[in-house]
Amino acid sequence: MNERRRPVDPRLVLKRAAGMGAIAGLVGVYLSLVGIVERFETRNVVTGVVTLGLLTVAIAILVAAFVAPRLPRAWGMAEPSRGLKFAASLLAGAAAAAVLVLFLIAVESLDLRDIFPNASPSLARILSLGMDGPTGWAALAAMCLAIGAIAGALHALRSRDRQPLVAAMAAVLLVSLMEPFLNNVFLQLRQNALAGFVYERSGLTIPAALLVFFVVLAVGAFETYRGEQARERVDSLPEATRRNVKYVTLFFVGVLLLILPHLMGVFLSEVVGTVGLYILMGLGLNIVVGYAGLLDLGYVAFFAVGAYATALLTSPASSLGLGLDFWIALPIVMVIAAITGITIGAPVLRLRGDYLAIVTLGFGEIVRILLLSDALRPIFGGAQGILAIPPPEIGDLRLAGPVNLYYPILAFVILGAFVAWTLANSRIGRAWNAMREDEEVAAATGINTTNYKLLAFAIGAVFGCVAGAFLSVKIGVVFPQRLDILVSITVLSLIILGGMGSIRGVILGAFVLVGLPELLREFAEYRLLIYGGVLVTMMLLRPEGLLPNRSRQRELHEEHDAEETQYQQRAGGDTGAPAISTP
Amino acid sequence: MTTERDDLPAGMTADEVSAAPSVATVEAAKHGSLMVVRSLSKHFGGLVANREIDFDIPRNSIVSIIGPNGAGKTTFFNQLTGFFEPTSGTIVFDGLDIAGRSPNDVAKLGIGRTYQNIRLFKEMTVLANVMVGRHVRLRSQWFQALLHLPSVKREEAETTQRARELLDLVGLSRRYEDELARNLPYGDQRRLEIARALASDPKLLLLDEPTAGMNPGETAQMTQFISRLRHELGIAILLIEHDMKVVMGVSERITVLDHGERIAEGTPEQIRTDPLVIEAYLGKQATA
Repeated sequence: MNERRRPVDPRLVLKRAAGMGAIAGLVGVYLSLVGIVERFETRNVVTGVVTLGLLTVAIAILVAAFVAPRLPRAWGMAEPSRGLKFAASLLAGAAAAAVLVLFLIAVESLDLRDIFPNASPSLARILSLGMDGPTGWAALAAMCLAIGAIAGALHALRSRDRQPLVAAMAAVLLVSLMEPFLNNVFLQLRQNALAGFVYERSGLTIPAALLVFFVVLAVGAFETYRGEQARERVDSLPEATRRNVKYVTLFFVGVLLLILPHLMGVFLSEVVGTVGLYILMGLGLNIVVGYAGLLDLGYVAFFAVGAYATALLTSPASSLGLGLDFWIALPIVMVIAAITGITIGAPVLRLRGDYLAIVTLGFGEIVRILLLSDALRPIFGGAQGILAIPPPEIGDLRLAGPVNLYYPILAFVILGAFVAWTLANSRIGRAWNAMREDEEVAAATGINTTNYKLLAFAIGAVFGCVAGAFLSVKIGVVFPQRLDILVSITVLSLIILGGMGSIRGVILGAFVLVGLPELLREFAEYRLLIYGGVLVTMMLLRPEGLLPNRSRQRELHEEHDAEETQYQQRAGGDTGAPAISTP
Repeated sequence: MTTERDDLPAGMTADEVSAAPSVATVEAAKHGSLMVVRSLSKHFGGLVANREIDFDIPRNSIVSIIGPNGAGKTTFFNQLTGFFEPTSGTIVFDGLDIAGRSPNDVAKLGIGRTYQNIRLFKEMTVLANVMVGRHVRLRSQWFQALLHLPSVKREEAETTQRARELLDLVGLSRRYEDELARNLPYGDQRRLEIARALASDPKLLLLDEPTAGMNPGETAQMTQFISRLRHELGIAILLIEHDMKVVMGVSERITVLDHGERIAEGTPEQIRTDPLVIEAYLGKQATA
């Protein structure tokens, strides 16, 4: 595209950079005041070098300083020169420094703790890098400026050189955050020496950090410079060899999945089991929201129905007192699920978008309130719930405890993913997509929208209920407090994070939104804040999700966007000019 | 919408005419027409959008409906396709009374349509759009799809094959088949919409202003394409247009609507010289 662009106006560029730096500074102030900086300070990233607390502020500044010289397309300006870019990044760092130093001085000299309990002297110590008075202010300012300079230097690199570098830095952070997980695995394998080499006081050791950094950097560089050739060579391998490689890889992944709980130990198996339940729910809600486009905010209702139906059928202590075997109860629960799905779906068939969301939100709450109610206490046990749910048994094997339960959950996740995939790629999935795009046209194309909506609700409900069934046997009791609106929101968030309509996306989303917070106990308090932040960021930067399904990804391709506007303009210019027009 | 008329006196609305369904059915059998519409009326509250319209579509023919903006053309169309339930009157299609049936039933019986303002499934690929059009002719059910049965796979392969043939027929390059529908050039979007409609093997194809927004060159191409479709597929085509040139070129019979009523019907020659039509289009002075 060779559109004409205005020459760069340095004053505008710098003004924008200063603004963004100031915003990053305010983000830092916010992170400090809500207590994130201080809380995360106990967590080492690279022990003795960086802690997570100050790093959160640093990352905010780095992002702002890096984005600052990139002008919005709408400005229609030419690319700024390298020098100007560097100046802009540095200015952004300076602006952030100004805001943060003022904040530091305020925290040190005024006692703000009546209003902001977190504005404590210990926060001041963290922000001033452990130094006192003006030296501390200077240290903070120097840090901000250095970050600005780093961002500016990143701009000077070609993007293919920059990517491996950024990936390497991100990898260090990630490996460090995975400490509770990996450390546990090392210890289970009795590799104490390895654990000692990699981690120290909840952070990476310096040699391990360097190792991770350079390994990822090397891989990234290889991918950039030699990746094309390597791929060509792989492609030129005979079909049979490639298939064998695929099977061998699958085999190893399978073996790894099978021995994983024994590597992870009880606590982590528990976490992965919970993630599995959320993957199941994510797959189910993905059918309703991602494929059929029906925004359901009350998905927890199905989770609850599944959990309670299982409890009623299997627990000898329940009001029914049947004490059925779990594997006999499960098909019954699935039938109940489908009926519930249709019952909830039928009255809302004519509703769309926001209205549907509000009504389903209501349904979710109704289910919870019914379970909690005194009137139905004889059946559902009120706030106390239903106790003594026996674990599933296969022959003589009792699948009790997180390690054993991991296997049936894994089996159902794989089954669920297969079902979701095969439906999505059939006539049914196409009909759902068409309905999501334009309901009226879908009907005129011959799709019975009523039936297809109910089908989506029913199948989505079955997924939710199976997850609920496993929840009940996993914890052995069910009670309404666990089944609140937050479950619905979490499931929806993980779909949005991973990418609407994408199965891989659901799996990744569940690990990030459900798995990570369990590993990083420091995060627990800020869970909702982080959810909100993640969703807003995703909507702004990558609305198609982290691992979008193919067609959605193509949607946001720049070239196509440009083409499309062109055609729309043309279409708009030509319509409304009939040969004979009305008087 | 064609209901933006407000100059009708409120009292003139409710003349109820109920033709016996059998009359239309009998007439259809007599003429061998594919579609017979008798005394079709549609009222929106006090507004009369269509008043007692009679209309025939012979098999394998191209007929057109023209009329100024707001004449009731699209309302008429929407009743044929099941979007609106007629206030009164009958629509007999291929021997069956379809008045008031749901759009998906009507599509299944063999009526395909396009839209005045293109309505593709924009975020789906070109090929998928056509495959959705084939939906009514496919038989695999959800539980079969879920089991991934060989019959389902075979049907999918056939559908893909058929969809590609249709893309060839309407002249869309294979190159585009994995492209999202919304990224197609405007004229190709029109073609894709037609391919989608044809995918359901319709006996009657309804085209709502197929040349809207096209330049004279493209319009001529589209006109040619429409007559080719009739010859190659042997289907009947109903056109709504307000571009007179298109209509005169391809249709055998033309019906003119104005203020919701049929004011003329005949061959292009007859319509061209009809004083009522000229008046409706150009105003009273033109006839004087």
